[in-house]
Amino acid sequence: MKVEITYPKLGRRRRVKGKLIKAAGWTLLLAAFVCPVVNLAVGGKAWSLIALLGLYMLWTLVLSPDLVEYNRISQFIKLLLSSCLMLALIELLIVPGWAAVVVPIVGFGGLIVCAALFFSDMERQRQNMLPMLSLIFLSALGSAAGLLWLKPEIRWPLAVMGLLSLALLIACAAALGRGFLIEFQKRFHIK
Amino acid sequence: MISGSERMKTAIGDPFEEYMESLPAGDRAVLADFFLDFDSRCILAKAEKRKLRGDFEKAVLYYVNSGLSLDRALELLDPVNLGGFYARPAALWFPLDDAAKIYPLSMKPGSMSVFRLSVYLREPVAPELLQMALDFTIRRFPSFATTLKKGFFWHYLDTAKRRFQVSEEADIPCRPLKVSKSGSPAFRVLYWNRRISVEFFHVLTDGSGGMLFLKALTGEYLRLKGLGPEEPHLWDLGENPDREEFENAFARIEQSPSSSGFMDRAALQMDGRLSRNRPCRVLHFKMEASQLRQAAKSHAATVTVYLLALMFIAGKAATDELEGEQSIQVPVNMRKFYPSKTVRNFSLYCGVRLPVDMITYIDSMTEEISRQLESKGSKEAMNRMLTGTERLVNSLRFVPLAVKQPVARLIYGFLGDKIFTNTLSNLGAVQLPDWMAREIEAMDFVLGTAISNRAGCSLVTVKDTAMLSIAKLTADPSFEEKLYELLSRDGVEVKVEGSELYEG
Repeated sequence: MKVEITYPKLGRRRRVKGKLIKAAGWTLLLAAFVCPVVNLAVGGKAWSLIALLGLYMLWTLVLSPDLVEYNRISQFIKLLLSSCLMLALIELLIVPGWAAVVVPIVGFGGLIVCAALFFSDMERQRQNMLPMLSLIFLSALGSAAGLLWLKPEIRWPLAVMGLLSLALLIACAAALGRGFLIEFQKRFHIK
Repeated sequence: MISGSERMKTAIGDPFEEYMESLPAGDRAVLADFFLDFDSRCILAKAEKRKLRGDFEKAVLYYVNSGLSLDRALELLDPVNLGGFYARPAALWFPLDDAAKIYPLSMKPGSMSVFRLSVYLREPVAPELLQMALDFTIRRFPSFATTLKKGFFWHYLDTAKRRFQVSEEADIPCRPLKVSKSGSPAFRVLYWNRRISVEFFHVLTDGSGGMLFLKALTGEYLRLKGLGPEEPHLWDLGENPDREEFENAFARIEQSPSSSGFMDRAALQMDGRLSRNRPCRVLHFKMEASQLRQAAKSHAATVTVYLLALMFIAGKAATDELEGEQSIQVPVNMRKFYPSKTVRNFSLYCGVRLPVDMITYIDSMTEEISRQLESKGSKEAMNRMLTGTERLVNSLRFVPLAVKQPVARLIYGFLGDKIFTNTLSNLGAVQLPDWMAREIEAMDFVLGTAISNRAGCSLVTVKDTAMLSIAKLTADPSFEEKLYELLSRDGVEVKVEGSELYEG
């Protein structure tokens, strides 16, 4: 059977990136196994949980990026949320007594950056609104919960975060007008 | 004011500017008016608008260099062909149809359901005109001018107002599309020598919808080449799209009282080491349709049944297993049961299954294959499958995507395509108007490969040329060699074309 080649010749394909990702994946998996074992062996605080979260962040943010909606807002929010989780874990497992102030500060800082990313290129970024809405919702919820339970002297960052999330929601709605409702419709459709 | 030296620099750097400079004042004014008209029809972002304008400039230069008058060139490229597509902000969005919902849920890095349709012209493709043809055609297919987005419960397609680009083929066919970035399209248009190809992510459409797009694009390309009629052809690109053209046609069908599932016993797979490149080779068996029909007739079978029989025998030759069942997936176009103008997915599938013992001679199998095709591919059977699909979709509609996605990926990864050995998708005979048929030599249809099926076959016929394409997932040539031998034995002359083996 003789085959007439009617496609462009590609030569030997380079798969350096694929091979590197694969190698990094196995290394991370090995590290994810070794960390808890070492932690259990030497005892002490459960630092391995923090290491595991770090490995997960490295995998999802760098080595295996999202296949749908990989944009500056979604990636920034992913980084922000996992960083907040990391801070909360450090407080819980290693050094207590500071995260209730620091996490909301990081949160409202993140909201400001998010707003800048969104409003600096609104025409395109309106298609990337769901991650931002999720952040707004989480910030508002976190703020309400914190204000109910935390001591008054450490409530201010939570109050700022809550107010900022509401302000961002109103700003989005005002900027997009009817488009805001349509974006909602798209994002929450069940058809 | 542009200084003399600056103008010189522009003229040297930009062939279009250079051409403008060489024109008499009258022609320059005509061109300026032409681009003013273009400006009024384009509100794209600056960079995109520049690219779109660049397309017009390149096309004008192409015409002028081919000896066409400027007036005729501008007539062919009239910006009125852009319609309002680039002049209006994005407004439409489309929930995925029932068949499309699984594709974004199950895709993985390097693995995506992509299929490809190609047309072979008599002359080498002019990229400048193909780009213009795409610029003019896309507005008629609003559900293709989209980008895939994540909702809270389901993915959806959101309109992307941008210039869609054609590019020269330079990679493996049906390779995954990058749909992650803002506005990135879920299809690509490629050209290579005399071939125009469109590769689609299955979320957009099925083979029939894709064929409509390819025909419209080719028709527009031929018009720009001066080979087509001036009046509207095929799909009138100037018409507003009809709502029915992008409806989820599955939703119109009444549910059947009973439903059928998607599970079945694992089928025998052909042997041969799975390649890392997907597909690792594409082959086209180019045959005379009349010879193929004659061969099928000599076995008292239809072309589909005949080819299925050959595929079963070739599949048996491609494995050392002596027990088990082979199963071939056959997509069923639902438009034949429920006429619809939709260009989105509107097909389901059935499986023709034979135990290895039964796979012997063509004549001994055709009756059983016909029987199974008739019963499993019947309207009732399809309705049952559709009801099963609808029930599954309905039961999952309030489950957040973040939960559905990993579960779907896990299940799909586990089940995958193990219940099938191979696929045969027959798009049938493509009808073309005479003026198009004169310029088109052949067409082909390539299925994106599956997970473990070593081959996927597809057939499309245009005029008297039937093109059977095989997308391979293994370097082992046993399957295609046996198929070639069987066809040749039945008196069908086969010319084999295709790609090199993408290995290494």
